[in-house]
Amino acid sequence: MTRPVLDVAGYTLDYATRAGPYRALDDVSLQIAPGEVLGLVGESGSGKTSLAWAIMRALPGNAIEPAGAIRLGAEDLMRMDQRAMGAIRGRRIGMVFQDPAASLNPTLTLGRQLTEVLERHRGLDRAAAWREGIEALRRVELRDPEALMRRYPHEASGGEKQRVVIASAFACRPELIVFDEPTTALDVITGARILDLFRRLRQETGVAGLYISHDLALVGRVAGRVAVLQRGRVVEQAAAATIFQAPAHPYTRALVDAVPRPERRLVRDEPGDGELIAARDIGVRYGRRRWFGAAPVSGARGISLAVRPGEILGVVGESGSGKSTLARALTGLAPFEGEIGFAGRRITAPAGMDAAYRRAVQIVFQHPDASLNPRQRVGSILERPLRLYGGEAASIPRLLEEVRLPAGFARRYPHQLSGGEKQRVAVARAFAANPALVVCDEITSSLDVSVQASVIELLLALRRQHGTAYLFITHDLNLVRQIAHRVAVMRQGELVDLLPTAALDGADVHPYTRELIAASPTPVGARP
Amino acid sequence: MTDLLRRLLRTPQGALGLLILLLIALACVFGPSLAPHDPERMNILGRFRPPGAQNWMGADQLGRDMLSRLLIGARTTVPLALLATLAGSAVGASLGTVSAYLGGRWDEAIMRTVDAILAVPGLLLALLIVSTLGKGGGNAVLAVAIAFVPGMTRVTRSVALSVRRQDYVSAAIARGEGGAWIVFREMLPNVAAPIVIETTIRVAFAVMLFATLSFLGLGAQPPAPEWGLMVSEARRYLHQAPWMIVSPGLAIAVTVIGFNLLGDGLRDALNPRDDR
Repeated sequence: MTRPVLDVAGYTLDYATRAGPYRALDDVSLQIAPGEVLGLVGESGSGKTSLAWAIMRALPGNAIEPAGAIRLGAEDLMRMDQRAMGAIRGRRIGMVFQDPAASLNPTLTLGRQLTEVLERHRGLDRAAAWREGIEALRRVELRDPEALMRRYPHEASGGEKQRVVIASAFACRPELIVFDEPTTALDVITGARILDLFRRLRQETGVAGLYISHDLALVGRVAGRVAVLQRGRVVEQAAAATIFQAPAHPYTRALVDAVPRPERRLVRDEPGDGELIAARDIGVRYGRRRWFGAAPVSGARGISLAVRPGEILGVVGESGSGKSTLARALTGLAPFEGEIGFAGRRITAPAGMDAAYRRAVQIVFQHPDASLNPRQRVGSILERPLRLYGGEAASIPRLLEEVRLPAGFARRYPHQLSGGEKQRVAVARAFAANPALVVCDEITSSLDVSVQASVIELLLALRRQHGTAYLFITHDLNLVRQIAHRVAVMRQGELVDLLPTAALDGADVHPYTRELIAASPTPVGARP
Repeated sequence: MTDLLRRLLRTPQGALGLLILLLIALACVFGPSLAPHDPERMNILGRFRPPGAQNWMGADQLGRDMLSRLLIGARTTVPLALLATLAGSAVGASLGTVSAYLGGRWDEAIMRTVDAILAVPGLLLALLIVSTLGKGGGNAVLAVAIAFVPGMTRVTRSVALSVRRQDYVSAAIARGEGGAWIVFREMLPNVAAPIVIETTIRVAFAVMLFATLSFLGLGAQPPAPEWGLMVSEARRYLHQAPWMIVSPGLAIAVTVIGFNLLGDGLRDALNPRDDR
């Protein structure tokens, strides 16, 4: 057997906190063979990123390493001093981070940041490094690399920046590249292209990789072997196909089950007839109109759609496509053009939304941390809409029970709850008004996969109970295909498609919609 | 509340600041009964008596006991400074939050007015108000309070602007809450921490501002044992009897330091993320 490129043996990591040592990684053993890509999957807080930093030997000051060894080839990285590591980082281990905007220095040109690596680790002179840099950018399929070399990070798009980071990671022909969620900060289509690029580069260079992600479907597409990390422990390690088709550990099984699959419909009934709410030609402009200067930025324009009683209408699109703008217009948070038809009335401005409309249309936001007032207890957060819409404070325990939280949570503050629990409180607050339509603005995208599945399940249960309609905004097409009756596709503030979910695979969809479907990660288990 | 006190006491600045302020509060409450002499009783034979057994902190140009005057003067100096600061902070904080909530043209109008007032130095503004309204303690309080409003408004607005963008404010607007509820119940509690810190530090400024006003003859009037006034009177005898200027000066300095330390301690104790 050949010697593995990376050998992590029985590695344990503690963080010293005021409450005593916190175990971040517990007896982790991993091996990556030459040319192999190991996927490392886990939920937030499972220690994925800590492991990446441990391999790079860039741990924070309060880290304690009681046991284990990390070997790169024949050398023990844990015995290296910072000087020796400086020669290894970038040269023998490359790294690609989650956010390309944060990992590039905004005051240096992209070319300078790329040639710096080449000059330092390959001993090239400036001119040779520049030529080599252009070559590296060409290899990552960037158009016009000469011009890009002279640009600053803010003059490039997110996808271009991540390509530059990847180019500099590959430029020194390292033995191992650590990828820490490289596509999470990018939108779906850009992320899919980066992933294709990564696969091609890997085949060409034969570099070994450690691919860290929370997204099982994604890891299944790039990694040969997958290790599942739960609270700092590796619970299962096997070939990707095995993990997804025959998961052995219960935690892995739960993770795999929680991944949305479009072919597994969760909603079977049909929505009611008629129109609950109809948006006609809605447009939103951001910024004030000024006497001089540019016209206000348009967030959305000419959007017409209607929601039927009890219907789940999915709205998908990339970031910046105007999905949230639509939600803000419908809930009266942004001044809009056009009109909203509701209960036989026409509403043309946020001021025209009366108490009946406000009660009927509720919104749940993306980040539960920001949508719950940190200075109010859960009880008073829920009490307010009840009082406003003629309910009684006595029904708070019932509301909490409906979202499957113990009644005692009414006395807690938001920061004492987990992310999923907070989002349940936000859902309970929306349902306190007994609404007809709940606008869900990316409500599951900041949650882990398993928590996301339970929140979705909760929403569907509430819908069965109350017959509520949802305007479900998300970037996850697979999730929408599981639950929505109809799907609206948005791009650059415009509605490009509005069709029944079953028709998404049909022939007469917008080319952009087709691109979006192709870019959504193939669900695990669907293909070997 | 007890939790806050415990965290406050854990920081050295907070504990020391609290101790100093406790001593000052004791002087304010029990000053007259603690004072060894009548603060206004003159003693021709004991003029300019240096600190010693008879007068622990010496005597002034009329033979009045300095210690007694300091202890009783605490009553007029510290509570007035506190009152003026609280009034100014309350108005400033409300104005800043309202401005951030309304946004747009209203925000522009309020903040430009505030900027214009801010361009006038605080002492000058206070002088202007007192000279318009007339001398005296009550007017001095009003003057200091008004002088504090613009600064407080700026500080509060900058914090409130970030709170305004939070989703819980959007949620309140979406469910049709009124403006007063959103400003005072949703936003103000979340900007309270910087306001409280700024207020404690400003109390120190107020003590100095009052002392300055009295020093210039526009605040408390003789023979009141106000600290600033005492410094002002002692100035003439600086070479003859330096203890006369040192003791009220020290009293002002210690009070200022006490409030500043408390402000520093509160800044650490009120940081909500620091729960561990």
